[in-house]
Amino acid sequence: MIPMRIAILTILAFIVPATATAADSYEQVCRDVNSKMVKIFGAGGFVRLNNFGSGIIISPEGHILTVASPLLDTPELAVHLYDGRRFKAVVLAVEPELDAAIIKIVPEGKQPLDPTGLDLEYFDIAASAAKPPAGPGDWILGFSNQFEIALREEPVSVQRGVVSAYTTLDGRKGGFDFPYNGKVYVIDAVTNNPGAAGGALTDRQGNLLGIIGREIRNKQTDTWLNYAIPTHAVADVIVKETVNGKEESKTVTLKLPEFVVKGMKADYRAVKRDPSPLRAKVYTGITFVPNVLTRTPAFVEAVAPGSPAADAGLKPDDLISFVDGEPVTSITLFIDYLERRTKPGTTIRLEVRRKGLTQLMSVQLTVKEPPAPSKP
Amino acid sequence: MIARRPRHFFAMKFASLIIVTVSASLAMPQPPGVDPAVLAAEQSRIDVVQKVLPAVCAVCKYGGGAAGSGVIIDPEGYALTNVHVVSGTGPVLSCGLSDNQLYDAVLVGLDRVGDVALIKLLPKEKGKPFPFVKLGDSDTVKPGDWSLAMGNPFGVAQDFTPTVTYGLVSGTNRYQPPAPGGFLEYTDCIQVDTSINPGNSGGPLFNMKGELVGINGRISLEKRGRVNVGVGYAISINQIKNFLGHLYAGLDTDHATLGAIVGAEDEDKQLNKLVVKEVRTNSDADRRQLQEGDHLMRFGTTNRFMSTTNQYKNILGIYPKGWRVPLSFKREGEPEKEILVRLESLQPPPLRSSVDEPEPKDRRPLLPGSTPGSQAAELYKPKKGYANWHFNEIEQNRVLDGLKKHGDYAAVPGQWTADGTFAIGERNGAMHFEISDNKGADGSPLVVLKTNTEQSLQPLKDSDPAKRSMPLGSGGLMMALYHWHHFLTQGPKGFEKEFVHAGSEPLYPRPTDGSVPKSLASLLVETDVIHTQHGAVEGKWYFSKKDHLLLAFEITLAKDTDPCEVYLGDYKMVDGRMMPHRFEVRNGDALYGVLNVTKYNLAK
Repeated sequence: MIPMRIAILTILAFIVPATATAADSYEQVCRDVNSKMVKIFGAGGFVRLNNFGSGIIISPEGHILTVASPLLDTPELAVHLYDGRRFKAVVLAVEPELDAAIIKIVPEGKQPLDPTGLDLEYFDIAASAAKPPAGPGDWILGFSNQFEIALREEPVSVQRGVVSAYTTLDGRKGGFDFPYNGKVYVIDAVTNNPGAAGGALTDRQGNLLGIIGREIRNKQTDTWLNYAIPTHAVADVIVKETVNGKEESKTVTLKLPEFVVKGMKADYRAVKRDPSPLRAKVYTGITFVPNVLTRTPAFVEAVAPGSPAADAGLKPDDLISFVDGEPVTSITLFIDYLERRTKPGTTIRLEVRRKGLTQLMSVQLTVKEPPAPSKP
Repeated sequence: MIARRPRHFFAMKFASLIIVTVSASLAMPQPPGVDPAVLAAEQSRIDVVQKVLPAVCAVCKYGGGAAGSGVIIDPEGYALTNVHVVSGTGPVLSCGLSDNQLYDAVLVGLDRVGDVALIKLLPKEKGKPFPFVKLGDSDTVKPGDWSLAMGNPFGVAQDFTPTVTYGLVSGTNRYQPPAPGGFLEYTDCIQVDTSINPGNSGGPLFNMKGELVGINGRISLEKRGRVNVGVGYAISINQIKNFLGHLYAGLDTDHATLGAIVGAEDEDKQLNKLVVKEVRTNSDADRRQLQEGDHLMRFGTTNRFMSTTNQYKNILGIYPKGWRVPLSFKREGEPEKEILVRLESLQPPPLRSSVDEPEPKDRRPLLPGSTPGSQAAELYKPKKGYANWHFNEIEQNRVLDGLKKHGDYAAVPGQWTADGTFAIGERNGAMHFEISDNKGADGSPLVVLKTNTEQSLQPLKDSDPAKRSMPLGSGGLMMALYHWHHFLTQGPKGFEKEFVHAGSEPLYPRPTDGSVPKSLASLLVETDVIHTQHGAVEGKWYFSKKDHLLLAFEITLAKDTDPCEVYLGDYKMVDGRMMPHRFEVRNGDALYGVLNVTKYNLAK
């Protein structure tokens, strides 16, 4: 089987360049890449949080690289291979700073760390990272199971586009919440749809460039950004290491291929930190006054109609003074509290000052509902 | 591989437009260092666009007002679009072409579940052919292929010049379920990253040869508003081809069910297996002895393998109700078996636009509006259960005119007698039959059939079901012979209950030498079907698409029973009329027998 494959590839290697034109079909590339893609099914399933995603196979044994997402927070994780086989999978390593996670296929009757006996086509992360990154203007193909269009042996979706930029995102400054600080490929095509995160970004020959990221929206401009994390990704991460029998935390610079090597050996432990990147964003419907001071008081500017805050009776000009009995001294502190201590469905108790009087109200947090689907 | 442009595609305007385009590209300085292959690819793309562009139309409300897009598929001006486009225009509408002119158009046929509508544009001068595009084979479309979408997104082109978008096929054989509460499902569709936007609905998706491979109809949306997010869907042209005969016949068509519930044996298993969960009692699937637990393997007119419910729905969804399609299955301890199943009707949903259509307030019922001065209004005949009865009459006449070329049967309405031989089971010998309209009691019809024994039936007098289905095991051959004589000599006026063109259906005539075919699908012949009812008896008449010869007919005596199927062959001239000299009679899964005629007598 393998010599046959090599023979075919060799023949193709000679034929394709000779006949390739700018308008050739990518059928063969799609087929090759698709055999290295998986559809991931995991936690979620409620509004705005998908229970489906994408991943790429990075070892013949069935190790899979995907994004660090709440999708993985379940013991019932499953993947569908390109040939229709369905397997259970376990999470081996997660690194939010790289927005990456390694999961592994666990065939029926095997333990998570047992050899799987599989011999799958795979992407070589180290080889990809050893090549120079793609640059602005380079053509790309995106492969993912966006919108959960494909199940079992149905091939993942392919899209084509161009690298618009190879740059860092200013995610931490509040435009959008973005876990990863390094360089990304910004894409001109709408690759980052629901379920696309963890998909493959490749060049026109199907060589891996990066991992399609999550859906992010710039809150100021209400625009959506399509990006992928390159295989060259680097991040400063805190790791726990055992030195002389003692466990120590330290900050190290970690490249994606290094994370992959460690993660595949289940030898990687990220230090617990702010879990917010892994959490669904809660929704209250409150808009605060502009947060211009270090400690801007939590004055309500507006309340979205029909939102949880509106249901609870919150009104503009209310000042939130306590949440669940804890004092709220600033907008930042309140938002921080929501991020750290709540999730969709949580009910928070607020103490609100209105015209000199104190009011008590309960707000049940939700996730924001998307608009209904439609046709052109 | 650029096909030569048919000359009539181009009005003078286009010819000059092309000259401008070509000379412009010649005059332009070629950028240095551009690979000639890139320039060649660009030029071939431009050529394809120019070739198909005149056939792309902007579908408008009558007199103007963009509603969607469409594409002309034959020189008479028949064009495909979406149901959700024409439900916004009503049955009398207008279409703008890239010659900047608005043409009157009329609704012809509807496939509401599939979201496909056929309309007809009227030429400005009688008989003037329209530019049209060739239908491709969507089964050859593969993920990674390039595609062109054309249409009038956002109603942007006031002069109806179509917008062209170019992109990749992202996936094929996609199943898109109906929106919650809706019925409109996209089965076996083509997914593209080619930009499809509001207004592109109903417009064509082309492969890079300029062949029509799909009709753009839907886009995936979630939170970003009603714009393209790189995921669009086109209804595959191969699905549309299955319905095309129905659409031309002015039908309001329906999709089908198998008459059985099919599902994954266990969703969590490593490999998926498709099994029958339940069979509806007395459905055709039940009569073909499909059973709970049977493992389904292959399905459809192209014998497609399936292992998931999506694949099953993809195949089931591309066929109209009433079609017979091959189905292969395995049962514990038995070899794979192939059967021919008649697909049952889905209960037709009430006419309304899909629930996920965002502007339902703008939808009007498909009734004639005020369309003063439109010639198209004269071509619209509403009738319950039909999209436009006028076109059913046209199609009936086309078939009947074709039949007339094989002989004037109406001129011999008297008794028909035939002599020859029979082979029924192990028995064979001399055969004789007589069919008349008036030799029975009180001048009623009479059929006499003599094989081993002589039997007779008065089709309009005898009411005993057992007698009507004689000879035993044939499903009613004598009744069938009466209806055959009646159809040929009386025509539409002989069928007081129903005489309609029922679109296109596949027919599977078995090899006449009795050999076992390698698959039922390999036998498939496309036919035009006329559906009749005379008394309580329903008939289906299968005419060759090629020459309108009557290839077969079947007679159903009662609901949920197997019809008597008669396959006609060995046609020869008898007194200037083509007459079949071989009658192969089938009932249920079995061959009843074969009658061979050596001599006819057709009385005036």
